[in-house]
Amino acid sequence: MTTVLQQLNADLAAVAEDTQRAIVQIKNGRRGAGTGLLVRADGLIVTNAHVVRRRDPTVTLADGRHFHADVVGYDAARDLAVLSVEAEALPALTLREGRTIQPGDWVMGVGHPWGRVGASTGGVIVGVGSHWTWRPLAGKAWVVADVHLRPGHSGCPLVDALGRVVGVGTMIVGPNLGVAVPASAVRALLDQVLRAY
Amino acid sequence: MNVDNQGVLAQLSQALAATVEAVGQSVVRVEGRRRGAASGIAWAEDGLVLTAHHSVQRDHDLRLGLPNGEGIDAELVGRDPSTDLALLRAPGGVLQPPAWANVDTLRVGHLVLSVGRPTAALQAGLGIVSALDQAWRTPAGGKVEAYLQTDVALYPGFSGSALVDAEGRVVGMNTSALMRGMSLTVPVATLREVVETLLAHGRVRRGYLGVGVQPAKLPPQAAEALGQKTGLLVVSIESDGSAAQGGLLVGDLIVALGGEPVRHLDDLMFLLGSDAIDATVSLNVVRGGTVTPLSVTVSERT
Repeated sequence: MTTVLQQLNADLAAVAEDTQRAIVQIKNGRRGAGTGLLVRADGLIVTNAHVVRRRDPTVTLADGRHFHADVVGYDAARDLAVLSVEAEALPALTLREGRTIQPGDWVMGVGHPWGRVGASTGGVIVGVGSHWTWRPLAGKAWVVADVHLRPGHSGCPLVDALGRVVGVGTMIVGPNLGVAVPASAVRALLDQVLRAY
Repeated sequence: MNVDNQGVLAQLSQALAATVEAVGQSVVRVEGRRRGAASGIAWAEDGLVLTAHHSVQRDHDLRLGLPNGEGIDAELVGRDPSTDLALLRAPGGVLQPPAWANVDTLRVGHLVLSVGRPTAALQAGLGIVSALDQAWRTPAGGKVEAYLQTDVALYPGFSGSALVDAEGRVVGMNTSALMRGMSLTVPVATLREVVETLLAHGRVRRGYLGVGVQPAKLPPQAAEALGQKTGLLVVSIESDGSAAQGGLLVGDLIVALGGEPVRHLDDLMFLLGSDAIDATVSLNVVRGGTVTPLSVTVSERT
């Protein structure tokens, strides 16, 4: 009979593995850049705007295949970008809907810190919303968690206990806090992009 | 979505968020300094709120941010710098205190949450109980009933936040200012004691001798006779103070008070607690190489 701790570990590993399959590496020329997440099986990818520094970045899937990507959406103010690669039947993540993620909720960031592919960092939501007095965050809605984001995590998905995307990791505030653009902002940009299609 | 059908991780997440939200009804924002707000915990329905002394840098114009988003004024009832606690009073009937639990329900390794309100919204952190130990003295001379250390990161504005157990009960108040660089929790038993004292006297009363001291090594013969290596060298004496009236002289080395050895400054601070006030106690000093017994009546620090 497994203990609760063992069950917890099994769930954590499952979320990490499911998420690893649906993230990509994004490179601009020879310099590695960051992470992106697949949001549709036909190759629609979300990442940070600051990760995309060329018109045709290179995307590497978890299965190792390389693609040239088109930039189909860009929101500099919210630091989001949407890329598209020509593929099909790719594993994709879904955005969380329903009860907004809250302080105390468990989240995990899965990305490529310092080029380490598919690394995960877990913790809880510290705070959500727009009421921030910390200067880098003031005035915008963010999802902040006590996860350890590092260079290379930019554009990574922050997922909840069921593997649904609650934000896109964008910024590091000190060694113990990860800041993500909320899934609602991702939804808004995707709606714009999909309309244009 | 039925949470019970989800895995343990999802249930845990749900439970953590629910716990934070429930305790959050008793957690307020405290605006008492220019640098930034801190957190506070509702102590009683009559409007008493507990926060960290170092977060309240002025005695007036104090404001609280309530869970419902409103702001109300509060006044300072008293402070105890030795345990970094400050007691405020806001209008009654607005806040409800949380459920409390004593620290003896905790074990090392237990999950705990910090719940604070440095902005309008609640914030939280998760960690485990890292260390539990017996009563200890803070460097400022305060007595804390139990040593409780966790690995919960205290973000800006989290001094005065609540430390919450898995049952949703508050086991103490978090502060970053008791020991430099460490996040410690003042347990409920100490909160109760200090609140009672602050309500009765507006401050924590301390004994006073009227003497200036600094740590010093004892001469070898005295050290061997006493079994201690250090004492406190008297460098100044307040005229007409307790020490002066007891016959203490500049150059004496204080080695014991009330039968308890005095090796370091915090030994003396601890022995000069409120219960020492007005007590006549033995004061042993090393004078001219020999141990000389004196007697002093401890007065009160004003």
